[in-house]
Amino acid sequence: MSFLDQVEPLKQSALAELRAAPDLAALEQARVNYLGSNGRFTALMKQLGTLSKEEKPAAGKAVNGAKVELEASLVARRGELELKAAMPTEPTDFTLPGRRRVLGKLHPLTQVTEDIVRSFRKIGFVVADGPEVEGEYHCFDALNTPADHPARDAQDTFYLAKAEGGMQNAESGPQPSTLLRTHTSSVQIRVMEKQPPPVRIIVPGRVYRRDNADATHNPTFHQVEGLYVDRNVTVGDLKGTVEFVFKELMGPETRIRFRPHYFSYTEPSFEIDFSSALTRKMGKEWLEIAGCGMVHPQVFENVGYDPEVWTGWAFGFGIERIAMIRYGITDIRLFYENDVRFLRQF
Amino acid sequence: MKVTFNWLKQYVEFDWSPAELCERLTMLGIEVEGVQKLGGEFEGVVVAHVITRDKHPNADKLTVCRVHDGKGERQIVCGAQNFKAGDKVPMILPGASLPAKPGEAPFTIKVGKIRGVESHGMMCSPQELGLSDPVDGLLILPEDAKVGQPFAEYLGRSGSDIVYDLEITPNRPDLNSVIGIAREISALTGNPLKLPEVKLSETGSPVQQSVAVRIEDPELCPRYTARVIRGVKIAPSPDWLKSALEKVGVRSISNVVDVTNYVMLETGQPLHAFDYHLLAKAGGAAPPSIVVRRATDGEKFMTLDGQERTLTSQMLLIADETKAVALAGVMGGQNSEINLNTVDVLVESACFKPQNIRATSKKLELRSESSYRFERGADVGVCDWVSQRAAQLILQTAGGSLEPGVVDAYPKPFAPKQIALRHAQTDAVLGIPVPAEQQIDSLRRLGLEIATDAAASPASTVFKVPSFRVDLKREIDLIEEVVRLYGVDRIPATAPRGAIGTNAYDAVHDQLAEARRILTGLGLFEAQGQTLVSDTAARLVGAEGLVPLANPLSSDMNVLRPSLLPGLLDALRHNLSRKTCDVALFEVGRVFAEVNGHRQEGRRVAIALTGQRSPLFWSGDEREAKFDIYDLKGVLEEFLEQFGLRGQTYARRAENTTLFLESATVQLGKFTLGEFGQLLPPLARRYDLRDVVLLAELNLDVLLARRNPVKSFKPLPSFPAIRRDIAMAVPEATTHEAVLQVVKQAKPANLEGVDLFDVFRGKNVAAGQKSVAYAFTYRHAERTLTDAEVNAAHEKVVEQLKQRLQAVVRE
Repeated sequence: MSFLDQVEPLKQSALAELRAAPDLAALEQARVNYLGSNGRFTALMKQLGTLSKEEKPAAGKAVNGAKVELEASLVARRGELELKAAMPTEPTDFTLPGRRRVLGKLHPLTQVTEDIVRSFRKIGFVVADGPEVEGEYHCFDALNTPADHPARDAQDTFYLAKAEGGMQNAESGPQPSTLLRTHTSSVQIRVMEKQPPPVRIIVPGRVYRRDNADATHNPTFHQVEGLYVDRNVTVGDLKGTVEFVFKELMGPETRIRFRPHYFSYTEPSFEIDFSSALTRKMGKEWLEIAGCGMVHPQVFENVGYDPEVWTGWAFGFGIERIAMIRYGITDIRLFYENDVRFLRQF
Repeated sequence: MKVTFNWLKQYVEFDWSPAELCERLTMLGIEVEGVQKLGGEFEGVVVAHVITRDKHPNADKLTVCRVHDGKGERQIVCGAQNFKAGDKVPMILPGASLPAKPGEAPFTIKVGKIRGVESHGMMCSPQELGLSDPVDGLLILPEDAKVGQPFAEYLGRSGSDIVYDLEITPNRPDLNSVIGIAREISALTGNPLKLPEVKLSETGSPVQQSVAVRIEDPELCPRYTARVIRGVKIAPSPDWLKSALEKVGVRSISNVVDVTNYVMLETGQPLHAFDYHLLAKAGGAAPPSIVVRRATDGEKFMTLDGQERTLTSQMLLIADETKAVALAGVMGGQNSEINLNTVDVLVESACFKPQNIRATSKKLELRSESSYRFERGADVGVCDWVSQRAAQLILQTAGGSLEPGVVDAYPKPFAPKQIALRHAQTDAVLGIPVPAEQQIDSLRRLGLEIATDAAASPASTVFKVPSFRVDLKREIDLIEEVVRLYGVDRIPATAPRGAIGTNAYDAVHDQLAEARRILTGLGLFEAQGQTLVSDTAARLVGAEGLVPLANPLSSDMNVLRPSLLPGLLDALRHNLSRKTCDVALFEVGRVFAEVNGHRQEGRRVAIALTGQRSPLFWSGDEREAKFDIYDLKGVLEEFLEQFGLRGQTYARRAENTTLFLESATVQLGKFTLGEFGQLLPPLARRYDLRDVVLLAELNLDVLLARRNPVKSFKPLPSFPAIRRDIAMAVPEATTHEAVLQVVKQAKPANLEGVDLFDVFRGKNVAAGQKSVAYAFTYRHAERTLTDAEVNAAHEKVVEQLKQRLQAVVRE
């Protein structure tokens, strides 16, 4: 048989063996059989040197072509077999639960507070802060609510015991003058005392009322206060900002209503009701959500601002109330129990 | 404050429905907290006029009538035979119900077809209305019956009414009266306020011969009026008076007492009636004196409710020459109250200083309709008129004769305050122009008068404030009145504009938010604990500097939290008791302490871990592993690094604390950042916690001050690192920190990092020893290191470790 006639049958036989190899070991054996140093194909190639000058080019071309083909087949079959080997013996059950990682969650009150802060910051407000332990002056007097003012009735206040150390009864000494702030409005005074107008702040924070805990009360709760003082600030500006913020918070279809009301530190004062799919779900067209008004000139005088030059407005609302309405929570105490099943939901 | 729809209608006209009235009052700033419908008799029954009466097309015994109900015509199918076109009859409207017969459900009239013809109501027989008229067929009314009139009213019986429960804000004492509310409606509608006409016939000798009034403290009592009515007959009140009081929830007592209550509700002015003969004569032939004086300290007084009160000299009394007879403005005394034998009555209509009444009422914990009104500020100007009104109604309901005149002790008559309103200022505050005439008109409708003696100017108007508006003190108060009547809903909202705010805290807020975000990313849930905790729990973290409340609600909440940890322990307990046993929480919050007499507030972040480290899984050796101290330390290390703190060290405490079994402080140079450790097992048991509990608390104020959040890029290494591992046995007491110190001091060239990768005790390690394994990484920034130079550096370190730590290198 001529050299050339041997190439094709040997190649076919090698290809068949490579393709038929059932696993990687058999494949390796087949490779050694043909392409190894003592392999049959290698032996054929070694004969190339014995051929005449005329035969060599054609023979070389044929044998090299065949080698390339064999090597390609080897690589392809190896790839197939390697994949097969990598497969687990039993198929994976993709319905089994995965190994879960825990992503902690922010407390719902934090989330609502952050949403409120984000809405206000869009329109130029910055966050301010103040102490929770306050004096009568900042919590009441400076806010135009003197000691004998009936408006103080509405806010039952926690006072701090006078002496350091042991507990003391409020009756026994003179009226203690430090208290837990009943509203974030005290920060209005603190900020205005410290910085000249204009002022544009919001103040989220804890406040305290002497109420026993029940579904709608907790001695500790959160408020957000907004204060804007500038030249030529109007009731129209107050409405514009309140509407913007509540639409951001409660959805664009939210409607806002202002009703005249009374707060000692604003004049005129309003209560704010809102109406949305949420309130209708609760069976109400309007739901009270916040209080607001134009800063009382007396308050400006108390902090040394000239009410003839500066006007402003303030408003405040409860964060728990917003969260309860938004998420449909019916018991305020849930916020302070920190039940993981509760925290996980937000 | 309760008012009824019909009562209001006596003083002012308005054509609003009950629901509209509710809406209008709300938008005036008088919030309606409750609406109660009082069903009268013959609800939905009106006097109707039969216009035509025709045969029913499909029924012989029925007729089809066109009937006018006062508002419009309606078609009614009727079975009665005894009427003709032109008759007046009672007709019940669809939706209303006939009076129920005993034992039956009431029958409600509906619009429906009778034999194919629609019928919109029903004409009624006397039997159907529960009346005893024997007539067969419809009740035919006289020709003069007014079409459209409610049938109850036609019969002179009590009709239905609506009771509104109003929230009156504390600045508006004048609204604690029906007339006050009516005045608001009058101002809104422009319809006149119709005050009751008071005409009195007086007989006998002048009242000055019957009583004298002496005010000893005019500051506390600016006015006191007295009238005397002789010969009354105490009896139950007539029906109209009883019904008026009962509708608004006031119990009827007797005619004279009821009149004082009625007039108080009507006018807002509290009144008191004394039995004249129970007042002591002043001596000799002199008539009794009313003395308005302060009580003496410790003076006892029996109020109407049968309670003996101990008074102080801060409290004001109404007295005669021998005894106290009333606690001024708060409550009358038992010794002089109206009783069944009362014949002559002294009517008090006075005014007292609000602050004083409030203090007395608060101190005695005694609140009354009277004190409620006086402490908010009564109308000093109206005392005499109200006294006349009361006299008129007493004469009307209890008979008797009124002595001429009044004793009116009024040392400093009311002079109205004058307030100038710059009309442009109204526009500036509201942000829209409101014509000056409209501003003036609004205020006049509310009862303010223009002060004609003040300098006139088109730019501003000076108003005299009536005595009943104690809340109007300065210009802005007048502007508020203008906007109330103008309607805040009519002021257009303007888009946010103006200055951008600045405040130092703004950045802090974001840093706190960043801390929270990192901790949630580390798998912790955020908690919010109570600020108020028990002193017992607070003492767990140290007894120094607790801040107690003066008036706590309970011993569970009597101090301000000195630490966030007691709150987190409560949260763990809550979760465990609900069978959530694997809990990882953090809280960012404020704590309180008293330091050298000053109350300080600080920010903290605290962490609590207990239970299993990983969520439930179904395979693997470590799946049930519980949190241990290194989980907590890992959280702390990652948190501190991500928050921008470097170089902190951890110092083990040698002793237990009141809280921790084993614990360490976290130090940054001379600053203590916080502490962490394992909760004492007995304490864990006290909180019903079964697994190991790990707690940490860091001082956020220090973290904020010391953190360096600035991030800067370091080029990635371009030459390979060479690693050398070492395993060595060291004595148990040798700390990781000690190893690192030795390595640091050996200063091996090109050392990039040292990582601990194994700690082992047991096989092939002697007792009292532990095997520790470290990977050392060497790298040069500008070239590839050779094995030889790394070996040289590494041997130097190993040598130092052997020498200084008695380390035995394991092969």
